[in-house]
Amino acid sequence: MFRNFTLMRYKEYNRDAVLEKAIRLFWQKGFNGCSINEIVKATGVNRFSLYHEFGNKEGILYASLELYRERYSKNKLDILKTSDGGLHETFIQFYTAFLENSHPMAGCYFIHVGTELADVDEQIRKSLSNYLNEIQLQIQDLLIRNNIDEKSKIYAKHFLGLFCTVMSFCLIHSPTEYREYVANGINIILPSYAESIKQ
Amino acid sequence: MPKVLNSSYDELIEKVQEIFWLKGFKGISIKELSSELDISQNVLYNKYSKEMLFLDSLNYYTNNYSDPFLKQLRETTEGLNSLKEFFYTLIDALINKTFPRSCLMVNTVVELRNENTDVVLKYDDYLTTLKDSYIVVLEKAYKLGQFKNKTKINEYADFLLGIIFSVSILYKIYTKEELRNYIEEQLTFIQ
Repeated sequence: MFRNFTLMRYKEYNRDAVLEKAIRLFWQKGFNGCSINEIVKATGVNRFSLYHEFGNKEGILYASLELYRERYSKNKLDILKTSDGGLHETFIQFYTAFLENSHPMAGCYFIHVGTELADVDEQIRKSLSNYLNEIQLQIQDLLIRNNIDEKSKIYAKHFLGLFCTVMSFCLIHSPTEYREYVANGINIILPSYAESIKQ
Repeated sequence: MPKVLNSSYDELIEKVQEIFWLKGFKGISIKELSSELDISQNVLYNKYSKEMLFLDSLNYYTNNYSDPFLKQLRETTEGLNSLKEFFYTLIDALINKTFPRSCLMVNTVVELRNENTDVVLKYDDYLTTLKDSYIVVLEKAYKLGQFKNKTKINEYADFLLGIIFSVSILYKIYTKEELRNYIEEQLTFIQ
């Protein structure tokens, strides 16, 4: 019993470590830009064990998205739930959580993988869709908590749009430009709110 | 016998830009390029470089797709309505997969970031032209009385600049109807 337990724990640790390496590799080189040999080299796990665990190269990608969601995007999305600052400040915090000092890299892995593969891989398209819907719902909740009930769904949709935009912009803009762009977007989507906080 | 190049450079670029558009820069190796283009790896290595082919593919894209499209936009006369039509055309192209894979410039930003200075110059140029074109149309919209706040033209143009990026993601999960609504609502923010 005990021995099995230790084995299991050991394997889980290994699995996540493999996926960590896979995230970085896919992120840097693209899914189609790296071969299974490169994955073997980067993870130090042989091809047989990788296929045994994940089925195929796609299986590694799907599992890496799950790990990213659990390990890296959950705490960023939680900002929308838990921040007790004002609405404007919460949005700034949320959008800047994906900036260059964020882990493991600037931007969002889902957007990155989705851009490359959502047109050709239905499973990727679905997980991108679930992910973006979750963000939109959390933004909507945040708006409602801030007494923006009317049209909260529409506003949430456009804050999601802003999210999609800035996930690309954060790759090419300096943090200052990025913050300005985000603030500009918030002010344009919610001008009445922007005016009220200036007073 | 290794194959030699038997078509002109322009014809080569026409072929290669489609491959990069579909697969990205890193998504295709020299070996695969060589077999798809039917040119020996030696020639690809010695006569050209992958980077050179990619940069000329970006040039091809601006010359043949984005520049004419944006010139048309700047010549429109209906202000925000012309912008709406412009974005509708973009949505149709994305949904119908008229092009290999969304927008080559957007793909390039996401894929290559700041890794290559020459590439950065290319997409910076593209984004500047795009924003300037939006400003031209917004000024017309202001003259038509479609929004009140003239001092905000620059901020609105920045905001609109985001649309090609958001739509390049959203078209993967929205229907055409939803995308059109998204555009209409975005334009209502210009007041």
